[in-house]
Amino acid sequence: MVEEKPIVKEITVNAPVSKVWKAITNKDEMKKWYFDLKEFKPEIGFEFRFPGGPDKENQYLHICEITEVIANKKLTYSWRYDGYPGKSFVTFELFDEGESTRVKLTHTDIETFGTENPHFAKENFEAGWEAIIRTSLKNYFENK
Amino acid sequence: MAYKIDDVFSALADQNRRQILMMLADKELTVNSISEKFKFSRPAVSKHLKVLLKTNLVNSRQEGRERYYNINVEPLNEVRNWLKFYDKFWDEKLNALKNYLEK
Repeated sequence: MVEEKPIVKEITVNAPVSKVWKAITNKDEMKKWYFDLKEFKPEIGFEFRFPGGPDKENQYLHICEITEVIANKKLTYSWRYDGYPGKSFVTFELFDEGESTRVKLTHTDIETFGTENPHFAKENFEAGWEAIIRTSLKNYFENK
Repeated sequence: MAYKIDDVFSALADQNRRQILMMLADKELTVNSISEKFKFSRPAVSKHLKVLLKTNLVNSRQEGRERYYNINVEPLNEVRNWLKFYDKFWDEKLNALKNYLEK
């Protein structure tokens, strides 16, 4: 189904799973690569908010609530924008590969964001419609 | 905006509607010419076109006795914009995570 097509990313990090888990759940570590949060607790129901956006002039308040925690394995939180419709979900999954860790990121329900959401207005996407239909649309929605 | 992004997705979820869009990408067509190429009844084609019109994926214009349908890709751009935005965003964040842990 097209509606359920999420963004899925995988990357292998040369660090043990416990270190990666700490990097995605400890606020002092998170600010080094992710966002600078006032507080973060890997607990179901914990809510965190932070400003973010495509550039300095366009910052929007993100509101996230943790929905699933399996220590060293899985972390899921909702991800939405204050004052705008829609709610997406971000999941980090960690796979222990000894010296290294495979990190799988899944972002679902992005399509629930409305068209009036700020990121839309700022993303000035310019491509000929021919290219979109002939290549992208076909590849994208026919699901290969 | 008259349409919502989830409406666009559900309009595109139907394979027949995607085929109609592909056809209209080549050139504008009437209901008759679509149903001929498609081997679908006129009412079936009209029903799909109605959904596509509602989401602005298709526009129509009257010329004489014929009504022509043509594609409008603006809603598709917006769908793509979202996915494109997060695609890049997560690439950057995951690379930052990797760099941080491997430094």
